[in-house]
Amino acid sequence: MSEQLTLYLHKVSPFSQKIQLALAEANAPYRAYQVNLRNKPEWFTSKLNPVGQVPVLTYGGPNVNPEDPSSLSAKIVESNVILEFLADLYPNSGLLPKDPVLRAKVRFFIDATMKHVEGTYLAFVQGNESFDNVLKAIEFIQELLEEGRNFAVGDHYTIADACISPHLARLKIVTETDIGNFPAGMGYRLGEELEGPRFAKFKKYAQRMLDRPGFQQTHDEEAIIGYFKRRFTNRIQ
Amino acid sequence: MAPEQITLYTAKVCPYAQRTEIALAEAGALFKRYEIDLTNKPEWYAPKVNRASKVPAIAYGGPDVAPENPSPESTKLAESLILVEFIADLYPSSNILPTDPVLRAKARFFIEVVSTKFSPNFMKFVSGNPEGTHTAILTGVDAIQDILPDGAKYAVGDQFTIADIAFVPFWARLNLLVQKGIGAYTDEERKNFLKALEDPKYAKFNGYVQRLLERESFKSTFHADVVEGIFTKRFGFAK
Repeated sequence: MSEQLTLYLHKVSPFSQKIQLALAEANAPYRAYQVNLRNKPEWFTSKLNPVGQVPVLTYGGPNVNPEDPSSLSAKIVESNVILEFLADLYPNSGLLPKDPVLRAKVRFFIDATMKHVEGTYLAFVQGNESFDNVLKAIEFIQELLEEGRNFAVGDHYTIADACISPHLARLKIVTETDIGNFPAGMGYRLGEELEGPRFAKFKKYAQRMLDRPGFQQTHDEEAIIGYFKRRFTNRIQ
Repeated sequence: MAPEQITLYTAKVCPYAQRTEIALAEAGALFKRYEIDLTNKPEWYAPKVNRASKVPAIAYGGPDVAPENPSPESTKLAESLILVEFIADLYPSSNILPTDPVLRAKARFFIEVVSTKFSPNFMKFVSGNPEGTHTAILTGVDAIQDILPDGAKYAVGDQFTIADIAFVPFWARLNLLVQKGIGAYTDEERKNFLKALEDPKYAKFNGYVQRLLERESFKSTFHADVVEGIFTKRFGFAK
C-alpha cells in the first residue's frame, strides 16, 4: 500500500469518526486534516467537496499539503462509500468478511443503523419526537446482534461496528448530560430505559465498542459536548 | 465452490426488485423466482421471509424447498442494493463490480446520487405528490448527468455495473409512464418534462439511458405490460 490517504474530518462529526475507526482497525497509515466547518476554506469546496461536508478521503496522487489537494488524487465522499472503499483497499483487514452472506449481514446492519438509528436519534435530540422511536430502533439493532458475539457481525470488527459506534457515543452523551432540545429530563429518562434488562445485550455491545482503543483515541467528548450545548439551545417545554 | 440454492421473492412492478433480477441475469445464475402480489401478500411472507414485508428478498442456502414453504435453515436477506452486492460477491464472473477500488467507490457514489436525488422524486411525480414536479425530476437528471463520464458507455466506464443496475429500473418506469401519460401528474407537467429532456444539454444523459434500455438483462426482466397495468389502475392518466 503505497498510495497516500488523507482524511478531511471534523472531531465532532460522527460521520468522520466512522472513517477514523475503520482506518484504525485496518492499521492503515493516513494523514488527518480538520476542516474549519464554520469558516470553510475555498479550496475545500472547490477542490474536494462542493457540498462542503466531511468526511472526504483523498487517495493517491502526489504527497501534497492537505490544504493544496492535487487534482491527481481520487476524491471519495459519503461516509458509507468511504467505508466500503477502505474494505476494498484492505481486503485482509476483516473490515468486510470474505463470505458473501456475512458481507450482506454487515451491509444490512449498516443499512439498519442509517434507516433506524440515525434518524430517530436526531429527531429526538432536536426535540421533534419522543424517544419511543429511538427505543424501537435500538431494539431492531439489538435483534441483529448475536448472543455471545463481540461484534455486530461475525468474530471481527467490521465497518458495521465502525458505522454505529459514533452514534452510540452521542446517545450516551445525551443520556448522561440531558443536553438536547427535548423537554428537560427526557435524556436521563432515555438513559434509564436503556439500563433495563430489555436492552442488556445492546448495552453490552455498545460499551465494548466505546471501550475500544481505536474509539477512545478518536473521541473528543468535550468537543462534542461543547458543540451540543451550542447547537441545542431551544428546549421544548 | 458453487453457490447454494437461491430463491428470489420479487414482483414485476417493483423497480427495487428488478435491480436484483438484472444482477442475477448478468450473473447467469440459476435461481427460483417467486412472484409476490404486493396488494395481497401471502400470510407466510413477513414471518418467514422478510419482516419488513417488502420485495425483493432472497432465501439463500438450506434444503431445496418450495418457495411458499421457506425453510428456517436458509439465510434470509433483504434490501435491493445489498442483494445486488451479494450477487456480485457470489458471482465475481458476473463482472458487475469493477475490480478497481476507486471505480467501485464511483459506482457506489453514483448509487447514492440515484437514491437521494432521483428515485424519491420518481414516486412523488407519478403519485401526484405536490413536491413531485418535473423540475424536481430534472434535478435528479442533472445530478446524474454531472457524474456520467464523457465518452463511456455506462455510469462509471464501459463496464455495466451495480451503478447502472441501481438506476435503470427507475428510469425505465418513469420513461414508460411519461410516454404513455400514466400517473397522477398533470399533462402540462408531463409535456414540460419531455420538452426539457429534448434540450441538447441532455445529450449525454439521453445517450446513456438509451444504452441502459438496450441492455439484455434489463429487457429480459422488464415487464412493461404489468407496470402499465398496475400504475394505470393505481394512478390513472395524466389530466
